[in-house]
Amino acid sequence: MSRPSRPLRTIVLRLAGAAFVLWAVATLTFFAIHLVPGDPAQAILGGPGSQASQEALDRVRSEYGLDQPLVAQYGAMLGRLVTGDLGTSYSLKTSVADVVGAQIAGTLLLAVLALALAWVIAVGLALWSSAPGRVARAVSGGIELTAAALPHFWLATVLIAVFATGLGWLPPVSNGAASGLVLPVVTLAIPLAGFLAQLMREHLLVALEQPFATSALARGETAVGVRLRHALRHAAIPAVHLSGWAIGYLISGAVVVETIFARPGLGRTLLRATELRDVPMVMGVVLVVALVYVVITVVTDVVAALVDPRLRTAGTAR
Amino acid sequence: MSELELRAQAGAAGSGPKPALRRRRVPRAATLLALAFVAFLAVAVVAPWLLETADPNAIAPREAFEPPSPAHWFGTDESGRDVYSRVVEGTSASLAIGVAATAIGLALGLALGALAALGGRVLDFAIGRVNEVLFAFPGILLALLVIVLWGPGPVTATVAVGLSTAPGYARIIRGELLSIRDSGYVEAARVLGHGGGRILVRHVLPNALVPVAALATLGIGQAVVWASSLSYLGLGAQPPAPEWGAMLSAGRTYITTAWWLTVFPGLMIVFTTLATTVLGRALTARDGGRR
Amino acid sequence: MPAAPRRLAAPAIAAVALLALAGCSAGDDPAASPEAGGTLVYATGDAEPSCLDPHVGGNYPQALIAGQYLESLVSLDESREVIPWLATAWTTSDDGLTWDFTLRDDVVFTDGTPFDATAVKANVEHLQDPETQSSTGYLAVGKVASVEVVSPTLARFHLTAPDSALLESLAQPWTAMESPAGIERGMDENCQSPVGTGPFVVDEWVPQDHVSLVRNDDYHGGPADRGRDGAAYLDGIEWRFIPDSASRYAALQAGEVDVIDNAQPDTLAQAEQSGALVEIDAPRPGASNRLELNAGQAPFDDVRVREAFIRAVEVDDGIDSLFFGTAERSHSVLSSVEPTAYSDASLFETSLEEANALLDEAGWTARDADGVRTKDGARLTVRFPVSTNQSIPAEQSLFEQVQATAKEAGFDVQIELLDLSSWYGALFAHEYELVSAPYTKIGPDVLRILYHSDSITPAPSGYFANLAQLSNPELDALLTEAASTSDAQQRAALYEQAQQLILGGFYALPLYDQQNHFLHSTKLSGMRALPTVSTPWFADASLSD
Repeated sequence: MSRPSRPLRTIVLRLAGAAFVLWAVATLTFFAIHLVPGDPAQAILGGPGSQASQEALDRVRSEYGLDQPLVAQYGAMLGRLVTGDLGTSYSLKTSVADVVGAQIAGTLLLAVLALALAWVIAVGLALWSSAPGRVARAVSGGIELTAAALPHFWLATVLIAVFATGLGWLPPVSNGAASGLVLPVVTLAIPLAGFLAQLMREHLLVALEQPFATSALARGETAVGVRLRHALRHAAIPAVHLSGWAIGYLISGAVVVETIFARPGLGRTLLRATELRDVPMVMGVVLVVALVYVVITVVTDVVAALVDPRLRTAGTAR
Repeated sequence: MSELELRAQAGAAGSGPKPALRRRRVPRAATLLALAFVAFLAVAVVAPWLLETADPNAIAPREAFEPPSPAHWFGTDESGRDVYSRVVEGTSASLAIGVAATAIGLALGLALGALAALGGRVLDFAIGRVNEVLFAFPGILLALLVIVLWGPGPVTATVAVGLSTAPGYARIIRGELLSIRDSGYVEAARVLGHGGGRILVRHVLPNALVPVAALATLGIGQAVVWASSLSYLGLGAQPPAPEWGAMLSAGRTYITTAWWLTVFPGLMIVFTTLATTVLGRALTARDGGRR
Repeated sequence: MPAAPRRLAAPAIAAVALLALAGCSAGDDPAASPEAGGTLVYATGDAEPSCLDPHVGGNYPQALIAGQYLESLVSLDESREVIPWLATAWTTSDDGLTWDFTLRDDVVFTDGTPFDATAVKANVEHLQDPETQSSTGYLAVGKVASVEVVSPTLARFHLTAPDSALLESLAQPWTAMESPAGIERGMDENCQSPVGTGPFVVDEWVPQDHVSLVRNDDYHGGPADRGRDGAAYLDGIEWRFIPDSASRYAALQAGEVDVIDNAQPDTLAQAEQSGALVEIDAPRPGASNRLELNAGQAPFDDVRVREAFIRAVEVDDGIDSLFFGTAERSHSVLSSVEPTAYSDASLFETSLEEANALLDEAGWTARDADGVRTKDGARLTVRFPVSTNQSIPAEQSLFEQVQATAKEAGFDVQIELLDLSSWYGALFAHEYELVSAPYTKIGPDVLRILYHSDSITPAPSGYFANLAQLSNPELDALLTEAASTSDAQQRAALYEQAQQLILGGFYALPLYDQQNHFLHSTKLSGMRALPTVSTPWFADASLSD
């Protein structure tokens, strides 16, 4: 804290950075999708295989501004975005903002619950694997790597076969009730928990070798106590920083998980919009996901700064 | 999406004491097992016919869905093909995806990370934002975009996976480079009057690359898993190529009646990840002694 | 209905095979009349429509659900005879250019609008209006010049040319009758909740989740073969979208849903063994599932190469094992439910020797290191784009077997799995030699759409239906004549000749009917698939506990 203006400057830079990220994501997506073969007017007129007449195509092109030069379309899109207008979906003919607004809650709920569960599992695994003894470390290490290597679609199928079809404990597809959330959340959480546990354990082991851990032990605290009260806190910081990334990862996973468990959500919306070349819809979902990522990153940076005093003096640019 | 991304993100906060990884010993038995498995993979890539017990693409519809037996070690698939031979045959395609995707991610990550760490504050900030943009794209969307641009197939799947891992590598490489730049021995070299270029080549890069290479080994298995998700969405390897991810997703339909269709290719992916990770750790453990 | 993706689009039948319907446990009284009440949960694997009005676009997912709230002028019975529905009778003039439809006078749309000749006129005009963006219905009424309101109960269709397929076209859900007042609300609103006369009413649509349908209490009538009058027993239907086939089946097993469509072969076999589920096998009408050989370019522009391919490819064993006996090998380009389907198994006998001899004769004599035949340096490559939305896993596996057996004769079949947009892209660019594109439509007129040379000319979108690129003036003449021949016997004879030309020219390799299997729990009874395009009918279904 050499200068008092520093926090303010940091915040301004951070926000400017966030705005840049959103702009860049919108721009990249816009031009990438326009490189994709396929006529957006077709997408509007019933998707591939439609037999729309030339008049219908021409009318749609002018209605949606598709006859304008690409740069003009890009400008128009940016102009709309600034006012918060995500445009009109080609395939659903409704406001993208409405669709995204209706779908985002389900996906975020899924992602947040999965993140929480992954944390619980990861902390458990990390504590176990940091216990003395080679066996615990080897076994838990194997579990972590295996968990991290499970594709969502495979895990989902096995969980449905065992817990829904076999044991009959849980519904195999979303049913609006809380019980329908269990399997999708577990499916998403397990591979993530594998990642998080690997990360936490590394940091936990380091923390345990730090002087504060040694002195706590010397003060007569139990090994478990030291882990829970001191070391875990240090091990958790890097994982907190991952929250933004983890949510993005979970939303990626949601594409598969929402399809298998028949849950409404952004993942399914995105997959369908991509298949149908529904440009405004793809753009809307991507921007909203990017926004979520940016917000979470900023918040976790702040939280981590509060948890970890060292950060306040560390450089801000990364 | 691999462990290194997590490390990268975590390291980005400047908080992670990273040397931990380097100090841990890997049991000798584990290393030997991992080496043996990698040797098996190597043979499967170079001379698959030595290991195969049948023609991996020969169909026999009347012998479909046979469980594992002495004749078919891993059973037969829905077209009566020998699953074991297909797993062996698929090694090269699967590893190609894993290795190539990791290489793409690493190359991009190296460029971005080095520029960020050594190019001054403005460049560092700019690249930080570029990285954030890449992170902000859900990986699967990036993959979907690449696929609709260039059509589905192993090459596009590889590029997609490579691109989505690049920011992770960039962050960790930047972190490694920064910590080395500020470390005692670089300081010492500078005091001794060595030039910047020489310091970079002799001290900074070797020290940064070894741990990065170790982490990259983790990426290989992850890339295969990723590619299998693309296969599930119908956008992965093209038949009849027996790629592990594609086998996993094709066998999923029959998971309750013919478990062997998914379990064996799945185990290959897990074992590959385990083996490369163990070797990666062994590598970093050795490297730790150098500092 | 153009290329009917399994999940995204279209076909009708009669073979309603009710297996093991005697599922009542000891406590039930099977003799009691069906209990009223209860909400049925239906889980579809077809794509979620982007518009619930089947006039717009017009694909199979729309037909599936529209059958619950819309009714057509006519229907078909199990023997595929046209029977009354909203129209009680019809006559045609001698020149075939004028059709008079007598309408029921006691039907009211669920918004209170009366169903009359004015409504029929409004519906045809809606289909023909470019603003509606109709594809399937638009083609179906393509020969209708105008509809004249003679009296409230008499609608007169004036045609531009005789159309022997008119009744079949009007029996399809894509031309079903909607309330003119509903249509006037504009496309956005009408897409959300089209208003019909059917046994159920659209109540609410929660995107990506479900559509709620509630009973139309005033419903009476129905297709003439219904056998009862009055409103449905069920209180309503929850129409769910569960795209993943394994999850859909698991949901049925767990009792979360009562009926599923697009049941997969392996689960059908399981269900049959367990006896706890009931299957309804209702193949779609129109074309069969077949591989089209692109005769418009090399190498399949040579009939010897086409014949060699068909001689080389073995599919019988694969169909048996991959479909677990649930699909029967077809040797016709028409669905087996079509009475005019012509089948000739002798054309499809396989022989590797014959295939090799034919290819040698055609000049594909050399083989390269991979065993692929070559001619003047060109490889015998067959590009085969496969839509992953349209081909179920079992079918994709079958295609791999096609690839493997064709290889023995020296064909290099390159399967490309593509999403629907890319798949159409490959077809439009003529980057294919082989393709499977199901097509659903009532009646043999589908042959005109698929094999008349006019269908090679692409629509502005690039779409063309004649994927075999079959251009034969003799065939064109037969198909055109059949389309305007009203005498049933004469018509059938013309279609038989046409099919002989198609099969004999080795333009297509028929595989099986378009599969359409429903599975439902034993709690449900009284469900059937309408013979028109095999969509489910729930007005007489009931749930027991």
